[in-house]
Amino acid sequence: MRGARAVVEVLREENVEVLFGHPGGAVLPLYDEIGSSGIRHILVRHEQCAAHMADGYARVKKRPGVAIATSGPGATNLVTGVATAYMDSSPVVALTGQVSTAVMGNDAFQEIDAFGIMMPCTKHNWRIMKAEEIPGVLREAFRVSMAGRYGPVHVDLPVDCQNAEVPEEAFRVIAGNGKPPRRDLSRLLDAVKVLEAAEEPVILVGGGARWAMAGREILRLAEVLQAPVVTTLMGKGSVPEDHPLVLGPVGMHGKMVATYVLNNCDAILVLGSRFSDRSTGKWSEFGKERQPRIVHVDIDASELNKNIPNVVGLVADVGTAVNALLGGFEGRARRGRKVWMEKVRLLKQECSCEYNYTADPRIKPQRIVWELNRWLPDDTIVTTEVGRNQMWAEHFLEVRGQRMFLTSGGLGTMGFGFPAALGAKVAAPDRPVVDVAGDGSLQMTLQEMATAVEENIPISVVVMNDRSLGMVEQWQRMFYGERYCAVGLGGVPDFVKIAEAYRWDAVRVERDSEMPEAFRAIARADHPYLIDVTIDPREDMLPIMPPGKTAKDIILGPRCIWKGGKSIAGHVAAGA
Amino acid sequence: MSLLVHDQPGVMQRVMGVFTRKKVNVETIVVGKCERLGMARVILTVLDDRQAWGILEHVKRLESVAEADLLDPRRTQAYLAVENGAGPAFHRGSLEELQGKVKALPQEARYILTISAL
Repeated sequence: MRGARAVVEVLREENVEVLFGHPGGAVLPLYDEIGSSGIRHILVRHEQCAAHMADGYARVKKRPGVAIATSGPGATNLVTGVATAYMDSSPVVALTGQVSTAVMGNDAFQEIDAFGIMMPCTKHNWRIMKAEEIPGVLREAFRVSMAGRYGPVHVDLPVDCQNAEVPEEAFRVIAGNGKPPRRDLSRLLDAVKVLEAAEEPVILVGGGARWAMAGREILRLAEVLQAPVVTTLMGKGSVPEDHPLVLGPVGMHGKMVATYVLNNCDAILVLGSRFSDRSTGKWSEFGKERQPRIVHVDIDASELNKNIPNVVGLVADVGTAVNALLGGFEGRARRGRKVWMEKVRLLKQECSCEYNYTADPRIKPQRIVWELNRWLPDDTIVTTEVGRNQMWAEHFLEVRGQRMFLTSGGLGTMGFGFPAALGAKVAAPDRPVVDVAGDGSLQMTLQEMATAVEENIPISVVVMNDRSLGMVEQWQRMFYGERYCAVGLGGVPDFVKIAEAYRWDAVRVERDSEMPEAFRAIARADHPYLIDVTIDPREDMLPIMPPGKTAKDIILGPRCIWKGGKSIAGHVAAGA
Repeated sequence: MSLLVHDQPGVMQRVMGVFTRKKVNVETIVVGKCERLGMARVILTVLDDRQAWGILEHVKRLESVAEADLLDPRRTQAYLAVENGAGPAFHRGSLEELQGKVKALPQEARYILTISAL
């Protein structure tokens, strides 16, 4: 059996249904086999998008997505996508071709040290040097990507190994000689005691909870603890946001109520989050005032005490840890925490503004999200690009029911949302998929419009079009003395015309009254569909916690009704 | 710090990558094959104890690192060669002792401190 055939055999063995890739000289033997393998192959127009699509697919399916690229430029193009997956702990298996082992290291045509380049942005990677390594290494690659904390892996396949014969014995290698995932719940009792002793506990939910799909258990724990739940950007959607205890996103552009309780509580239970600076603000100032006790649950032991020190650490996946905590609280006297609950309820009221602002004269981006909340079915998968579109979606979108929210939180890759939406739609063809995009981000991966049409992947894209790199423009306005540089996009291209050129359905929306009709069509779209919404470019994304500052320095928006928690009477009395 | 790693190509690049990214300086590196087939032992010296503790979990997290631990300086044998103007001098003893000797050396003295753990 040829090496390339062996690759396909292992892909079949791992139940891979779809490959995202772009062929080239160094993967031709592999493509020769893929053609007759019966595995669906989606031809992308740029390798970066192959990785993003595999990533989007993985986030929906909760199992590895596979991306293929050729050597040299193929591999380097793949890097952004793989790094995005790495920062968001998404299981992507990246396969790249490589020049023949005979010329490797001699700067052959399309040679690059893909093994070295991928090393810091993958969980682990391998360079095949002999064809017989292929079955063992590939099986191990799939295992590693899903073992413990998920993450991308990469296998470099020299073209001569793809052509060489793989002996039958090579398939007898069983994966699993690697490290078993670590688990350490030895401080469970400490954790239970810390949470029990707290007057005003808060649960902070991160991306780990979404991978563990532990939403229901977390809500149960929140009810047992009588603690409000706040989410990070990556944790958004892991708990349904219409639950009364869920206060929404924290951080740089989070809800005031969520950021307020996180900074004014006496104990925090952190589930699967790395305490990103975007969530907490300046680390050295975080929790300085109330000195909250912190129980940190993470599947990756290296996250404990990394950004925020002195935590009670539990090393386990969120589902296991939450169930263990629920078990720990069972049979113990429950604390009422009525005063805290009442305070949280009032704070939530203080933050629940109506954001269906009417046009004056251009559409407000908040209104777009308001309309989306109204018209998107409860099983919609929403992806976002990066920038203000992402933050408006994070802040205002209500992820309820079976809705999912996919975004590039760690690396913040502009252009992620569109290909990720395509990958998500491939993973869940029966669910509506919408990419909430900005005009800047969308142009980074616009060429995949061709893929959507050709592979018949009917997703929808809502472009918040402010004709500029809005987030950067806002920062230059707020923090750089209105000295604008390199932010105007000139109002080109005409997205409707571009979409039509790619044979998409497309409409332009310039008035509030046109939105319901345009958005209602998303649910029943059976063809790629773009909505170009012209928005008010002067509308800033507020509130904002300025970068490197703390929750105290948050700048509120002009219409924000938040009173800084002052309308609610003092702290909770001890023992209440 | 003592690591047991899989003896694969690129493993040192991987391990040292962690130190580079976390801005931790490594004083000495000793690597060699060890008693377990297909594995290698890596001994690294990090002067700052707090940094060593901080980076340990990040090193352990690598797939190619099977074990990682900090060595106890009182129980680890070490060798020290000092060039102090008057010809080379050699010492052996516990790491703790020799670290004390190094600290007592004048600024201009040159020395090599290695750990016997292979």
